[in-house]
Amino acid sequence: MDTFTHIINGVAVCLTPINLWYTFIGVFMGTIIGVLPGIGPSAGIALLIPVTFGMNPTSALIMMCGIYYGTKYGGSTTAILIRTPGEAASVMTSIDGYEMAKKGRAGAALAVSAIGSFIAGTLGVIGLTIFAVPLSSMALKFGPAEYFTLMLFAMTAVSTLTGKSAAKGLLATILGLMIATIGIDLQSGQARYTMGVPEFQDGVGFVVVVVGLFAVAEVFRGLEDIYKGTGAKAMKITGPLWLTKEEWKRSIGPIWRGGVIGFIIGVLPGAGGTIASIMSYTTEKRLSKNPEEFGHGAIEGVAGPEAANNSDTAGAMVPLLTLGIPGGGATAVLMGAFIMYGIQPGPLLFQNRPDLVWGLIDSMYIGNVMLLILNLPLIGIFVQLLKIPSGILYPLIIAISVIGAYAINGSMTDLYLILLFGVIGYVFDKVDIPVAPLVLSLVLGGMMEQSFRQAMTISGGNPKIFFGSAITITLVVMSVISILMPFILPMLKKYKEDGKDE
Amino acid sequence: MADRIIFAGILVLTGVYFWATSQIPTLEIGDPLGPKAFPRLLGAGLIISAVMLLAEMIKDRKSAPAATAAEPHGTSSYKVIVGVIVVTGLYFIMFEPLGYAVATSLFLLVMTNYFNKGKRWTNVLTSLIYGFASYYMFTKWLGVNLPRGILPF
Repeated sequence: MDTFTHIINGVAVCLTPINLWYTFIGVFMGTIIGVLPGIGPSAGIALLIPVTFGMNPTSALIMMCGIYYGTKYGGSTTAILIRTPGEAASVMTSIDGYEMAKKGRAGAALAVSAIGSFIAGTLGVIGLTIFAVPLSSMALKFGPAEYFTLMLFAMTAVSTLTGKSAAKGLLATILGLMIATIGIDLQSGQARYTMGVPEFQDGVGFVVVVVGLFAVAEVFRGLEDIYKGTGAKAMKITGPLWLTKEEWKRSIGPIWRGGVIGFIIGVLPGAGGTIASIMSYTTEKRLSKNPEEFGHGAIEGVAGPEAANNSDTAGAMVPLLTLGIPGGGATAVLMGAFIMYGIQPGPLLFQNRPDLVWGLIDSMYIGNVMLLILNLPLIGIFVQLLKIPSGILYPLIIAISVIGAYAINGSMTDLYLILLFGVIGYVFDKVDIPVAPLVLSLVLGGMMEQSFRQAMTISGGNPKIFFGSAITITLVVMSVISILMPFILPMLKKYKEDGKDE
Repeated sequence: MADRIIFAGILVLTGVYFWATSQIPTLEIGDPLGPKAFPRLLGAGLIISAVMLLAEMIKDRKSAPAATAAEPHGTSSYKVIVGVIVVTGLYFIMFEPLGYAVATSLFLLVMTNYFNKGKRWTNVLTSLIYGFASYYMFTKWLGVNLPRGILPF
């Protein structure tokens, strides 16, 4: 069967009542998780994995992905109404969106984010549909050495791009890989680093790590803010939930440009939604005839970044589905969900389970339509969520995390681990060690070691195999460059400035 | 200051990790690399991150003026978080003996009364309703196993 037939069959899969229902549940919960500050897509998806066990994998994954792209829609609402990004990538929206709300144009700001998100989100899914097949057939030619170097590149890019310090990003990556080595080594049958704890023989569960680092740690930070009294109140929705002709004219350009920027950034490993929205914002500011309006309620500053962070999610699905290599924290958690359902994302999935892949991709078109309805005419319902006092919300998130962590194995060790990783996540945040690289490398660790050992077995123990093809050489060079980049860039800058002085 | 502690921490961790790796027993059959090779690579990665951190620390000392003003509530907010961690730890200790519903309701009562002051009835109702309703929903509808504890049902 050719690709076109698969795409059409995918439509049939995602239009079954059960899958439509789970698409709806996914995007609905995604919007809620996006609106609520303190819980993001990573924690939301991880918490749902244990509860959705036993579901049909296609439906479960449709729902999980719905949560992932749904959070980006919800996040903008919080950014506009309380100037706190409900989700990290909506940080740029909180600048001009909140200023618009202060001027009584909250309705227009919400409308442009929902419409921009919808246009760019759909644009992104079209991109995903187009690029999926060529990329996955290229990836079919990859051997273990290519895979190892590809993962190396993904990890080094994420290390240097996510935090303030490349060294700390790399540290987080290595820590994730080290956690991944805990447990029985599948090739030799030897137990490694179990410290005598029988529960560690199966390794440290990634749900536990993600819930600890993303949900519990976020609760600690939130409670600290309440104690300090830095919480803010939500503004009311003012003005009609629609755009004037002039606002529409000003927004359409930024939406298209933001959509393209977001998709490209999404496909590349490392950068992610936050960087995509920052890039879109600076692009619009540079292109604008009135750059001084930015920061004081320029609608372009809402339209562009919101578009960018939505097409970014579709872009980020490209490497996850076609190569089986996620490029950031949230897609790494999604990959973990795939694996827990016994599905290995990657090129073979397009051959073996076209119904699942295309059902999933096609469901994203429908999910975006549902999100437009939820986030425009029905946005009032979700705004009510912002009235929940955070002093009740944060303790509840811990109670919900407990169910998620305990439900996997019914083990108390897992509960103590979420507390441990919660403390680690809280401390890491204080000292600027990013946690997204840790989660990515934790998910990829097992695969990375396996491909390393397979490659070395093929070459008879000669590491030259990692420099054996044009692909591996390119990837190794790119990895080295991404590690050295933070050191080279300032030097280049200095060199230029010195040149100017003379 | 924090960076120096992290730097020292990496060095200690590298040492411990190399030692723990050497403790893995190996049988040299089949797999030419064995279970130790990849961990050794990770140990090397830790050393690289330590070197990079050192380079960043030297660079920062040259450029940025050190010592930022301490934030207000600096230490007292840490005390609150330590309190939260202790209460959460107690919650987990009582999780199986008391059962999910009772332990969760108690935990929520303590937390909401501290962080959502002045709304006593809202807090009591939310804590009890959430604790028991979620227990019922997850165990009866979703088939999730949660400890029953002292409850008869």
